[in-house]
Amino acid sequence: MNLIQRLKIWKELRRLEQRVREEPSPSTFVDLGQVFINLDMLDRALQAADDGLLLFPDSQELQKLRDFAWRGVNRARVDDLRSKLNKAANSKLYRDLASAYLETGDQGALHATCEEWSVRFPSDPGPSLLLGQSRLAGYYRDFSAREGLEAVQHLERALGLDARERKARLLLAEVFYRIGAIQRSKALLDAMTSPQDDADLQNLRRQVAAARPLGNDIEALFRNAEESGVLPNAPPTASLPPLRTEDGIGSIRDSLAGIAEMPGVRKATYIKGTRALVKGDIKDGKDAFLRTIRVVAKAGHRFSRRLDIGSFKKGVLQGPFGVICICCYGEVLAAVQCDATAQVDRILAELQEVVASSLYAMGVSQ
Amino acid sequence: MSSIQDSLNDLRRADGVKACMLVTNDGLVVAESMGNKFRDDIVAGLASYLSMTTNKALTEAGLAHFDTFTLHAAHGKSVLVDLGEAFLVVLLDQFADLEQSRGEIQGTAQRLRRSAKMSR
Repeated sequence: MNLIQRLKIWKELRRLEQRVREEPSPSTFVDLGQVFINLDMLDRALQAADDGLLLFPDSQELQKLRDFAWRGVNRARVDDLRSKLNKAANSKLYRDLASAYLETGDQGALHATCEEWSVRFPSDPGPSLLLGQSRLAGYYRDFSAREGLEAVQHLERALGLDARERKARLLLAEVFYRIGAIQRSKALLDAMTSPQDDADLQNLRRQVAAARPLGNDIEALFRNAEESGVLPNAPPTASLPPLRTEDGIGSIRDSLAGIAEMPGVRKATYIKGTRALVKGDIKDGKDAFLRTIRVVAKAGHRFSRRLDIGSFKKGVLQGPFGVICICCYGEVLAAVQCDATAQVDRILAELQEVVASSLYAMGVSQ
Repeated sequence: MSSIQDSLNDLRRADGVKACMLVTNDGLVVAESMGNKFRDDIVAGLASYLSMTTNKALTEAGLAHFDTFTLHAAHGKSVLVDLGEAFLVVLLDQFADLEQSRGEIQGTAQRLRRSAKMSR
């Protein structure tokens, strides 16, 4: 980039910064972020996206800008950590580097780093913990039994190296609870003798105490969950206070009822983890349509993740059955089956609104 | 060059289209116009997985197979169009205007049906 081009960009930058202050909108923040990206100022682009999201939390464009800038910033952090490691390796640097790879989802680099880390520091439980976390994230996304078993192996190895490894113990206790291995989860939690439990731990202990045991055969429990496509127990953080309030659920229910009344809509559902709200021509939470939505969303997640195009957000299926629209964010799904003549774009926008507002209510969007 | 290949090459020149290919239902590549960014065998395998899993789930719910599956991800879009014994896979960038591309994708699907005599 020559000097004149650079000067032009700086001029544009000043103009956009002023516009963002005077007429804030998602597109002005995105334009500003794009200029920062062109100037290789990724941290400023990230800041612009964050500022924009504070004002417009539902903006997809700002979310995309944030993702892009965040990946760039993370890449720079990884390069920095790698060069420090090459000069003087220590366990903390390896942990930071592996955590950065875990955040970006770069499985290959994470494995290579953990392997190098465990060779240099064989008694450190860190590599096993990070690999366990990575496998566990994959497991909660796809419910693949193989991935779940590998996560357990890594986490148990971390605990074997250091029985005081609190995070590994918590993650193991949680996954055992989620698949129904309640006794094993309880045994792990009972061994935690911290003087004061934090809110997450208290919540997990409470839910484990109330859950119904399904057995102790971990492999069988993982396979059952894979086959059914659902985990028997909801995550301990799923019942966050805002969602439990009548307002949170009530507004979702009202929005869903509104969607179900749109012309051409036959079925509408909102699914969060193992729970579902249904409206329209659906009998109950056991309707086959719900399973179809879960399976298609899961397949969509796998497809887009492995194709490296980010996480699955929306899907539209057209066929002799009409149109099925799915909106997804994490474990929250909203879907509709409608006639081919229905206003698909409007329905998708409404579904997106339901998903976004429920996440907002839960505080996930923060 | 075959007419199937020509059709795919034409489609890839459309706005926002990054790659496209014709894949049999079990994941074998019939023809492709992919460029260097994607590996055809990986895309074919994933598309076949997505198509088969989706159709199986639809069948279990008593519904027919899909004709078109449009998927929006955080950093890209893709469209799968059923052609009977095979399907057309189109990968687009995240900013692609699907309304604009729809006509070209459906036109290509129609030409491929004719070329390969795959109409159902």
